[in-house]
Amino acid sequence: MYKLLLSWRYLLTRYLALASIVSVMLGVATLVVVNSVMGGFAEKLRDRLRGLQAHVMIDARSADGFANLDYHMQRVREILGDRLEAMSPVIEGFAMVEYRRREYTNFETGSRDDPVNGVITGESPPVVRTVRLLGIDPASRSQTSEFAQFLQNPENRKDPTRCFELRGQAAEHHRRHFLRRFGPTVYAPKPHSFPVSGAEGDGDTPPPPDPVEAPPQLVRPFGAVVGHGIATFRKPDAKSTDTDRDIPIIYPGDEIVITTVSRTQLEGHAGTRGHPRPVSATFVVTDVFKSEMSEIDSNIIYIDLADMQRLRTMENCATSLQLKIRGYEHYTPEQKRQLLAELAQHFDETFFAIASWEQKQGPLLAAIAIERGLLNVLLFLIIAVAGFGILAIFYMIVIEKMRDIGILKALGASNSGVMGIFLTYGLALGLVGAGLGTMLGLVITININEIERGLSALTGNDVFDRSVYYFDKIPINIDPLNILLLNLGALAIAVAASVLPALRAALLHPVQCLRYE
Amino acid sequence: MASTLLLARDLYKSYRRHKIVIPVLRGLDLDVETGEFLCLVGASGSGKTTLLHVLGTLDRPDSGRILLEGRRIDDVALAERDRLRNRVFGFIFQFYHLLPELNVLENVLMPEMIRSSVLSWWWRRREARRRALALLDRVGLGHRLRHRPRELSGGEMQRAAIARALLSQPRLLLADEPTGNLDARTGSEIVRLLRDLNREEGLTIIMVTHNPEIARLADRCVCMTEGRVEAVSASELPALSS
Repeated sequence: MYKLLLSWRYLLTRYLALASIVSVMLGVATLVVVNSVMGGFAEKLRDRLRGLQAHVMIDARSADGFANLDYHMQRVREILGDRLEAMSPVIEGFAMVEYRRREYTNFETGSRDDPVNGVITGESPPVVRTVRLLGIDPASRSQTSEFAQFLQNPENRKDPTRCFELRGQAAEHHRRHFLRRFGPTVYAPKPHSFPVSGAEGDGDTPPPPDPVEAPPQLVRPFGAVVGHGIATFRKPDAKSTDTDRDIPIIYPGDEIVITTVSRTQLEGHAGTRGHPRPVSATFVVTDVFKSEMSEIDSNIIYIDLADMQRLRTMENCATSLQLKIRGYEHYTPEQKRQLLAELAQHFDETFFAIASWEQKQGPLLAAIAIERGLLNVLLFLIIAVAGFGILAIFYMIVIEKMRDIGILKALGASNSGVMGIFLTYGLALGLVGAGLGTMLGLVITININEIERGLSALTGNDVFDRSVYYFDKIPINIDPLNILLLNLGALAIAVAASVLPALRAALLHPVQCLRYE
Repeated sequence: MASTLLLARDLYKSYRRHKIVIPVLRGLDLDVETGEFLCLVGASGSGKTTLLHVLGTLDRPDSGRILLEGRRIDDVALAERDRLRNRVFGFIFQFYHLLPELNVLENVLMPEMIRSSVLSWWWRRREARRRALALLDRVGLGHRLRHRPRELSGGEMQRAAIARALLSQPRLLLADEPTGNLDARTGSEIVRLLRDLNREEGLTIIMVTHNPEIARLADRCVCMTEGRVEAVSASELPALSS
């Protein structure tokens, strides 16, 4: 009983020990904040990666993809049966996109960024950049991944199957500025009748469409959904608090030209060998895609799978099959491995790479886990330093309390009892420090965005550069188990640091203590 | 006829400082009767405090025997020595040695707390508190229960220390110059208190003192010279003090 009473009184009266409490508190608070924020980042990244991908991907090793798409899809359905929830074919390839930055001035409001009501008052020379071009089927894509929720047009989020159609203000903008200006000839709209650049001279290439024969109202323009990082330009010196950091370059309704390569033909047209040839087509931007993953948003343009197939002469072909598996979240690693093995029986690994999304993103997620582990080790060193503080202060307290130790022993306290006083004292310091640290850490974590804004305003620099992740705010994930483990670690360090002084106190000779001046 | 409570035979104790051996007790013999008030006098460095520590199991003799009611206690295990100090011996020191973080009542309760686990303290606390309050009333500190030692005078602190020493109802009270740090009047009050405890409750007391006036109040005085004792009569005491 006296151990509890004395350690409690020491805690209340020895202000020197407050230094140890503050060190433990700061260490634990830092650990809580770092773990919660890194956990938030990891979880958000994981969600994003998961949202952008299906559970299982069957990728052709060749950029030309694989033929007989219907047959392969049927085989997948047969193999997986009820386990298959959704399947979406994709054609992926590299492309060049060409666009012009136009200034749409609304003289009534003075705005220079009003594509719907403004008129074109300026136009930049063509800008060309490389992108990843994905031909997707929006209906099935929305089932295998969370494609739809990243579309900026709310109507498309509700009905992503029409995301490549011109609708609403985009249609109005396009009608006013492109149809009127250039007429419908910019399209290459009839099925199997798009213009293929560089294909001239091939005897069986379909002739270019006759623009006169194509009535505008029947023509469906090629639609493209452009990544937010392509459609906008971020001011390099923009701060996170600026509302106009992203300057629009491409508006929904604008036209862009995409150049990619055709599929390699086994037999070239008219007996020539069919090397990949550049093919171009004009597309109308129908929507913008914003996943908040800068890598995705600044590199990807989605077009309709059918358009992609026609553009690249890949009818009934795809480069990848994206599969959504029913109840995949509950699969054990063994079940996942089994699933991939079943698919591998049908898809020859020479031509196909079959992988789960975890396997594809594994290195990235593992890197985050390693970073988090390393940071934990480094930050625990802070608490270890606090532990040495406790050790030093306890040594001083033991010397200061030498007489008291002698009295206690004279009154019958055992060596282990005296040791218990200082161990309990160390535990109490650790408990108070870790408890306060957890509270401080949670308060900082919960208000991290407000703190970040305050710091940014104070320093004039962006503390959290949103352009890296396109996250609107710093994500957090408060994991109670993680916090419990951090606290236990801090307590263990505090108790371990008090062992030596406690041992010294226990082994002191009572007569020596009573005579100590 | 009074029985022998404590018996020391042929006690030797020396301290070693930087390879120099300093003999303190040199073949000391001492008998203490039950209910006796014994005064130890002697020049500084004659080994009085060391003898109290050895008798009270705070220290071990190098050789010799100490028997408590016929049972050897000088060679018992550490845990048993702790138990003896907690239940059989009560200590009073010159500098009171109260714990500064605790109030008077808590200081007095300390021997009972040392004896108890958290659970047993929970059961016994009322009884312990009742006894502590009675003792504090007895020593005249019933009105200063919540005061910290630094808020008490020297005499009050020593009274609190006496109450603490008596809480475990010890068989033998070992007082090491309890009046050494007090003025004459307060010192005699403390000694009167000890005298009353001895007479009214039969408490056996061994007290170290340099004051012949105080020593005269004891049943018996022994003088320590070069680590041995010799009985002295009260008339010889003034000479000793000089």
